[in-house]
Amino acid sequence: MMKGVIKDFLNGLWNENPTFRLVIGMCPTLAVTTNAVNGVAMGLAAAFVLVGSNAMISAMRNFISPKIRMPAFVVVIASFVTIVGMVMKAFLPALDRSLGIFIPLIVVNCIIMARAEAFASKQPVLNSIADGLGMGLGFTLALVMLGSIRELLGNGTIFGLNVFGASYEPALLIIMPPGAFITLGLLIGLINLLTRKSKESSVKEGDRQ
Amino acid sequence: MREILNLGLKLLLITAVAGLALGIVNAITREPIKAQVEYMDAQSRIAVFSKDTEFVELNIDKIKSISSDYSIIAQVFQARQNAQVIGYAIKTTPSGYGGAIELTVGISTDGTLTGIYIGNNSETPGLGAKASEPEFRDQFKGKKVDKQLEVIKSGKLSDNQVQAISGATITSKAVTSGVNTAMKLYNEVLSDDTKLQQLIVQGDAE
Repeated sequence: MMKGVIKDFLNGLWNENPTFRLVIGMCPTLAVTTNAVNGVAMGLAAAFVLVGSNAMISAMRNFISPKIRMPAFVVVIASFVTIVGMVMKAFLPALDRSLGIFIPLIVVNCIIMARAEAFASKQPVLNSIADGLGMGLGFTLALVMLGSIRELLGNGTIFGLNVFGASYEPALLIIMPPGAFITLGLLIGLINLLTRKSKESSVKEGDRQ
Repeated sequence: MREILNLGLKLLLITAVAGLALGIVNAITREPIKAQVEYMDAQSRIAVFSKDTEFVELNIDKIKSISSDYSIIAQVFQARQNAQVIGYAIKTTPSGYGGAIELTVGISTDGTLTGIYIGNNSETPGLGAKASEPEFRDQFKGKKVDKQLEVIKSGKLSDNQVQAISGATITSKAVTSGVNTAMKLYNEVLSDDTKLQQLIVQGDAE
């Protein structure tokens, strides 16, 4: 039982990493990774909502019949995000100012919907929480990698710390929208290359959504 | 038929519970959120003046009715120190790249900008959101209000020009247009004593 929970957690972190492996949730991935701090903020906010919505949908999985699952998921996820947003605005204003714009963006993040559909609607609550946490942290990991690379090349800093010195002329393209596509493409390519060498058999095309 | 009814009832139950939960949370958080917004507005006024300044709100509806140019102005406060009027804090909401930007502009009675403060906004993180950093924001400090400001992307800056944030010209222009509107309000209305008197809310006039 416990082994399964840990496996579900690790699955999202790397083997089925939402960004690098499943290639879902591309809209926030491309839009907010202009620096590393944003990657952390967006990733953690999404992880929090993922855990909550996975737990709720898993608990309701026997009540929601398959025919109405889509509208039911949408209502649950949107309500959860709205409540999180309101509570943060009222009681955690400092956190709201740094994460505020990312919270409404989570509603349209298809990772949440994908995990509700593919995992939480079929699995027990504990496993769903583990899956949400793994997927959320896997998403965070990917966003931080992408954000760090883009911030480093496009602004000469990493987490706001100057790395290359004042004489570095930043490659602005990298923090502009086209840079998001270029960096993500190269990063996925690199990861595929590395993992293919180490484990020929593990990449199954059928896993893609 | 029975199935449709069954599914419909289930959906109704889910949405009703969701609606109820949202309603309860909204009722709990409404007052604290309002207090937060007021606190942030007060903070933004202090940021462009100083802590010991007293702020008196002017009649915003009358200001908006003067000209359609003032439609982006949200709040105007007279700033006083030791019962002396020292300037005005003007909150505007120009449209940036990602929607309205909350921008508070401080204008001193000697006709210079005391500074700007950028509050809630939805500008792109890392690009337009840089508007709230000192590098861009502090350019406005000390500018004269008699000449409208311009945004330039490169080259030597003259007195009434500010340097755009690279990659975020739309945001830079939006902020500058908010500042220009505030300056226009000061030049055409607030610096005119007779017009100003009409804006002071009754009961507050001394």
